Amino acid sequence: MTVAETGTMPLALSVSDLSWRLGDKAILSGISLGLTQGQMLGIIGPNGAGKSSLLRCLYKFIRPTSGEICLHGMDIAGIAAKAFACRVAVVQQDTPHYFDMSTTQLVAMGLTPHKGPFDGTSQADKADIAQALARVGLSHKAAQQYEHLSGGEKQRALIARAIVQRPQLLILDEPTNHLDIRYQIQILELVRSLGISVIASIHDLNLASALCDSLLLLDKGRCIVSGTPDLVLTEQRIAEVFGVCCRVQPHPQHGKPLISYFYGYSAATAAMTQGTQDAID
Amino acid sequence: MQSTEKFEDRALKGGLKASLGLLLTPLSLQGWLLLALALLALLTPLLATSFGAANISMLDVVRVLGHKLFDIGQPSAITERIVLELRLPRTVLAFVAGAGLSIAGAVLQLVTRNPLADPYLFGISSGASFGAVVMLTLFTGTGLLAGSGLAVDSGLAASGSGLSAGSGLSLLMWLLLPLGAFCGASLSVLLVLLLSGLGISSQVERMLLSGVATSFMFGALTSLLLYFASPQATASVLFWSLGSFAKASWALLSLPLLVVSLSLLVILALKRQILALQAGDETAHTLGVNVPKLRLGILLLCSLITAILVASCGGIGFVGLMIPHIVRLLFPGRQPILLTALVGGLFMVWIDVLARCLLGNQELPVGIITAAIGSVFFLFVLRRRGRYG
Repeated sequence: MTVAETGTMPLALSVSDLSWRLGDKAILSGISLGLTQGQMLGIIGPNGAGKSSLLRCLYKFIRPTSGEICLHGMDIAGIAAKAFACRVAVVQQDTPHYFDMSTTQLVAMGLTPHKGPFDGTSQADKADIAQALARVGLSHKAAQQYEHLSGGEKQRALIARAIVQRPQLLILDEPTNHLDIRYQIQILELVRSLGISVIASIHDLNLASALCDSLLLLDKGRCIVSGTPDLVLTEQRIAEVFGVCCRVQPHPQHGKPLISYFYGYSAATAAMTQGTQDAID
Repeated sequence: MQSTEKFEDRALKGGLKASLGLLLTPLSLQGWLLLALALLALLTPLLATSFGAANISMLDVVRVLGHKLFDIGQPSAITERIVLELRLPRTVLAFVAGAGLSIAGAVLQLVTRNPLADPYLFGISSGASFGAVVMLTLFTGTGLLAGSGLAVDSGLAASGSGLSAGSGLSLLMWLLLPLGAFCGASLSVLLVLLLSGLGISSQVERMLLSGVATSFMFGALTSLLLYFASPQATASVLFWSLGSFAKASWALLSLPLLVVSLSLLVILALKRQILALQAGDETAHTLGVNVPKLRLGILLLCSLITAILVASCGGIGFVGLMIPHIVRLLFPGRQPILLTALVGGLFMVWIDVLARCLLGNQELPVGIITAAIGSVFFLFVLRRRGRYG
């Protein structure tokens, strides 16, 4: 069952039979998904599964070999770059080195698709920037150089830039990379609180389980399964795709799957002995 | 009624107090710097015009300008001619050249995300020089150079420095040299793109290395051309390649002024997109920027600026590298294009003054001074980058 088939709510984004080949190599094959408006979809999978490639197709940086991507029912291939950027904002995993630029200037970059030549930054824009900075808790760092911010603050500044972009859909490529657990939770909760549709590739399965409405599990460029965290995150599937033994239990706070990993027992070893459960016991 | 008057009185007093407070508010360091720059910008035309072989004071310059603009006073004819026909166009050309090279450097540094990028290191200047040298070697001695300011006989050039394009400045040369320089600069950009894998969005480091290779290649081609050229052409090219504003005239000034002003407008119009490129090609794309188109457009625009300036003033290096850094050092956290143009223009005017004064009765080519300062500055940038990552 795909996410697209799970409900009758209007879809913010729908992808059907998406494939992308790089030369002879198939990077993505036959991926379909649907994202209901205001929901958060987590893309999970091992390294090299094609998570970033899928996201790059979604924000038009890569042109897929086949398949269709629709944003609110409109094929994104027909949407001009500027108009597309007014609807979709992206936060990437690596923050590049910037020339001397203050946090405010970085956040103001979110205005780029909304402005024409010679358009200045109006008082309303300045208020939007201040509001976005307040929302990510960086008002006190507004004048500080972006380069001097900590990893978590940089990520929050980039999310503030995305807020200023006023998107209908927010795409995040491993937004919690290199962050400590406090910032990981803080950033994903912040993104959730925006109330817009979100697609994020996430490595931490417990975070993905706790904060996403639905998940899409990728492996070797193919969609293994998609649906609610309960449906996607099973012990057997995690063992098959990630090659690790684990136990999945309901989280004591929110009831969504909570994964506990076992060390020294890879899935292959476990299969060779008495089976996963015996190995755990 | 009385209370309304009282209220208005209080409001007026409050307003006056606030205005006075605003006037007395201590300026920040950047505020003082801006004030100093504004004062320097006001005084520079008068001061710089008064420097030179002939003894002309700043008051004489004011008198000449007063007479010319408002028909006040009666300066001597010779002073008026020196100020209006020699020194003022020279000062304006130096300002335009400095401003143009600085904005070209600043924009190249932004679109390539490399603080060491400038028209020189990118190979654009070498390409432009090669194109101009092709024209010079082809047409030196054919009469087309007459009055262009590039002939060996400076007296011939000086006689052409009139207020109208027709007074000695050959229209052919007015167009041929910039055209040759622009073709050379564009060829250089094309080569840089080809060498870096034809990816306008490819790695910028590769583009810079390709720029250095292209620069050497055009340098070698220029030397080869000069080896086979006539001694007259070689001497002409050598003098021109060191960079000088000595042959400035209003007619020669029109094209650089037009190109730099229009380019500045285009850059200001595209400022948000150019700044977005700092975040990386992929992020710029997500901000609605057509990265390949913008980068190609900016490279061609920088080629045009450099080509026109190389054709007008010869090879003046390192200004495009230095000035954006100086502006960023003075005004951290900003990318002010207009301020970069202003600082670049003022810097070049004073370098030209230095070139006129350093050797007493002889002029030093400005290219030598900028290269000397630039090479030290280059090391300073490398050291600073090494220290602060």
